[in-house]
Amino acid sequence: MWHALEAPRRMPSEIDLALLWSTLMLLLIGMVMVYSASMATAEAGRMTGNQPAYFLFRHAIFLTIGLVAAAVAFQVPMSTWQQWSPWLFVAGFVLLALVLIPGVGRDVNGARRWLPLGIVNLQPSELMKLFAVLYAADYTTRKMAHMHDLKKAFLPLASAMVAVGILLLKEPDFGAFVVIISVAMGILFLGGMRARLFVILILVLAAAFAALIIFSPYRRDRIFGFMDPWADAYGRGYQLSHALIAFGRGELLGVGLGASVEKLFYLPEAHTDFLLAVIAEELGFAGVLVVILLFALLIQRAFAIGRQAVALDRLYSALVAQGIGLWLGVQSFINMGVNTGLLPTKGLTLPLMSFGGSGILANCIAVAVLLRIDWENRQLMRGAKV
Amino acid sequence: MMNFKGNPAHKFAESPLLQLSLPPWRSRLMALLILGSFSLLIGRAFYLQIVNNDFLQEKGESRYRRNIEISASRGRIADRHGDVLAISTPMKSIWAIPSATSLTPDQSRQLAALLETDVKQLTHKLETDKSFVFLRRQIPPLVADQVAALKLPGIGQNKEYRRFYPTGEMTAHVVGFTGVDDKGLEGVELAFHEQLLGQPGGRSVIKDRRGQIVEDVGSIKTPQDGKDIRLALDSKIQYLAYSQLKQAITDNNAKAGGIIVLDARSGEILALANWPTYNPNNREKLSGAQLRNRAVTDTFEPGSTLKPFTIALALDNAKVRFDTIINCAPGRLTIGSATISDAHPHGALTVAEVIQKSSNVGAAKIAAMLPAQKMWEMFDDVGFGQVPRLGFPGEVSGRLRPWKRWRPIEQATMSYGHGISVSLIQLARAYSVFARDGDLVPLSLTRADSSMPQGARVFSAKTAREVRTMLEMAVLPGGTAPKAQIPGYRVAGKTGTAYKLEHGRYASKYVSSFVGFAPASEPRLIVAVMIDEPSAGKHYGGDVAAPVFASVMGSSLRTLGIAPDIPLVVAQSPQSPQSPKTLAAKAKL
Repeated sequence: MWHALEAPRRMPSEIDLALLWSTLMLLLIGMVMVYSASMATAEAGRMTGNQPAYFLFRHAIFLTIGLVAAAVAFQVPMSTWQQWSPWLFVAGFVLLALVLIPGVGRDVNGARRWLPLGIVNLQPSELMKLFAVLYAADYTTRKMAHMHDLKKAFLPLASAMVAVGILLLKEPDFGAFVVIISVAMGILFLGGMRARLFVILILVLAAAFAALIIFSPYRRDRIFGFMDPWADAYGRGYQLSHALIAFGRGELLGVGLGASVEKLFYLPEAHTDFLLAVIAEELGFAGVLVVILLFALLIQRAFAIGRQAVALDRLYSALVAQGIGLWLGVQSFINMGVNTGLLPTKGLTLPLMSFGGSGILANCIAVAVLLRIDWENRQLMRGAKV
Repeated sequence: MMNFKGNPAHKFAESPLLQLSLPPWRSRLMALLILGSFSLLIGRAFYLQIVNNDFLQEKGESRYRRNIEISASRGRIADRHGDVLAISTPMKSIWAIPSATSLTPDQSRQLAALLETDVKQLTHKLETDKSFVFLRRQIPPLVADQVAALKLPGIGQNKEYRRFYPTGEMTAHVVGFTGVDDKGLEGVELAFHEQLLGQPGGRSVIKDRRGQIVEDVGSIKTPQDGKDIRLALDSKIQYLAYSQLKQAITDNNAKAGGIIVLDARSGEILALANWPTYNPNNREKLSGAQLRNRAVTDTFEPGSTLKPFTIALALDNAKVRFDTIINCAPGRLTIGSATISDAHPHGALTVAEVIQKSSNVGAAKIAAMLPAQKMWEMFDDVGFGQVPRLGFPGEVSGRLRPWKRWRPIEQATMSYGHGISVSLIQLARAYSVFARDGDLVPLSLTRADSSMPQGARVFSAKTAREVRTMLEMAVLPGGTAPKAQIPGYRVAGKTGTAYKLEHGRYASKYVSSFVGFAPASEPRLIVAVMIDEPSAGKHYGGDVAAPVFASVMGSSLRTLGIAPDIPLVVAQSPQSPQSPKTLAAKAKL
């Protein structure tokens, strides 16, 4: 019985359909919108060989790889994931370090975030988000008994995360840094760390963020651009002002698929970080609402699966599920907040939707892990033993 | 202490500690926080897309909505036969958005070759940090099509018009030219600018950041092309006039000159040319001297060409008759402190001979019989001292001082064309009173319809005919301008040789002129010629200007198919069959 669970031989009859369908919908809408948003720039660009479907073609390949990887990941039992967690974390750490080595990592627009792997580039920070969830969950599970103890429970994980954070800031990838730190803290919080400690921690972190922003002119500029994009609409506020114009043009039902003007070289990063703005312009408030509700459903399912696992005393699975929910929630909220001008601009993609191979791959595997946890939950509830 | 190794799932279930340490409220709180932030996003999106969208759309339109003018084609200018003198041809301009352009060396070479520039210059233009540059303007559409066929990213083209003047410098001063944006700057292009211009259309478009039009917004206003202008000018006569003038200026080593051909019956300007002139298709090294439409903008003291007007006034007022004897001896006349003299001293002359021999003394003596006011009114009636108002830029009135301030010597010199200044066009028009039966024809730059204009009467028909006879005598042997004769046609005309005024004093520089009309029996054409500062030995109007008159008038009459009014008799000398004696006899009758 135990062996049967480790590798289900037939397609599972019971999986979380709401989770599966919301994910597939997001992937599908994402692919269509990546094509729409990138068509004009791809056709005009020399790097893309003037192929309008350049990004669509690549996005489709990434999706295929992501879905295959997800299918494989679904076969892996949570116990195995837990055993691998520390090693995956170490591997992720090594990759992040490799990126920073001159000649190995690859620069794009002043940020060194990619490892060239022949025809594609790997972005270790995207994978690291998944590995951080897995590792933080494993760590918390192991240190459960010492959760009240700052020195034993908190400091080791905190130092590991700070080490990762330093590597991320070196790239720089401030967005990934924020996501990984919040996910790690969130898992500690969910794992039962004392609330008072948490309050102090949040205050310290807030102070650290503030310092970072004050002492780094590059980030301070981004903050000012976000406060009032119209003050310097052709300088710092350029990108955000165009994103906001895209939202305004969309109205209720949008200007129609493919009819965005903002994507015609006005809005930079339309197919990656600012995909939601193109969705807002072409599909209107209705399109934005659908996307937000699909993410809300996905995240609600992740936390529900997590709580189900708690009820079944599967602590590691519970933290992983909620960690993934937290990760996708935080990242999608930040991305959409940036698009709508609620948050300062930082380089974060919209999970499952934006163009980017490593991101899509990590997101697909994450959802597969969620589905696996849910599947194992259902097996246990049927009386099977894990 | 718990042992987490091995099979942890089993142990958790049994651990009471863990039951406590995963409180479900924390999970619910966290999920709630995330979903709460999502509802914040929904609210924000609602605000941006439904509430505040007007503001944002306005901001957007200011960035990519553009109103584009669709230029109307400027009307053509044609001569009286429809031959084109000015035409707008569609051209293309090639522009680039440097940031969006990246050419291979091969592409650069091809583009540079098509644009007739070198690769270095092209690369230099593309390396600016401007967002838009013109690579070349006004290239033929065929070349532009070849550029388009290269399909270079970031390089586009606009339609524009270029004005071509097929007749070039020959008609430069009449037709004029346009500047940027089709604005008429000179000549007919300026005078008829409003009619030629047309109504530009327009469209409102959305452009992408690289300047390409994405879509039209609203309706397109179609442009209304400008109207064509049909001038009175006759290209053939214009050519004759221009080439003969140019020749005469070269032969006489003159500074400048002008020539005008009028239709005496309709008042149409059949030809108007000046030297120096310019090529309106290439105005790179244009000087003010070339640009001046002297026949209209420059005035000169006309000299003897004004004598017929004084005589006509005296005839009209019965102060003298055709054959009244005026004593012009000894060729000098002192009025106050000034003395006027004739070039060649004469004795007693009839009034007709005063014209024929061009006696200053005779003219002055006749003028002395006339009240200053009458003379002023007559000059004013024939158009002196008035702006012709043809529409040319810089038209001048000339100088005709008020008669109340005239001194006797001034009235005397004005009788033979000094102390008064006129433009060539004024002079040519004034002669229409003799070419017609005493009325002054209004001038027309454009081709007149069939109805003949009625002029304003200045002299009686009888006076006009008498002066016409005197002017015919001036061209005959014994007159001042036998070189103005034309085989087969009776010619009437008058020479003028005037000293030039320089800094208020008369210098020994001359303006030689000739104004005349033909056929004298039934005048059809008036030709006025003015040569400024002839300096190749000859300076008399009869030697310098009269031959130009004869050549242009003769050719023009034949071109227009006007019947000769002298039967050509074989084996007769080129002298006219009507000798001065018969004319004088006729006058005595």
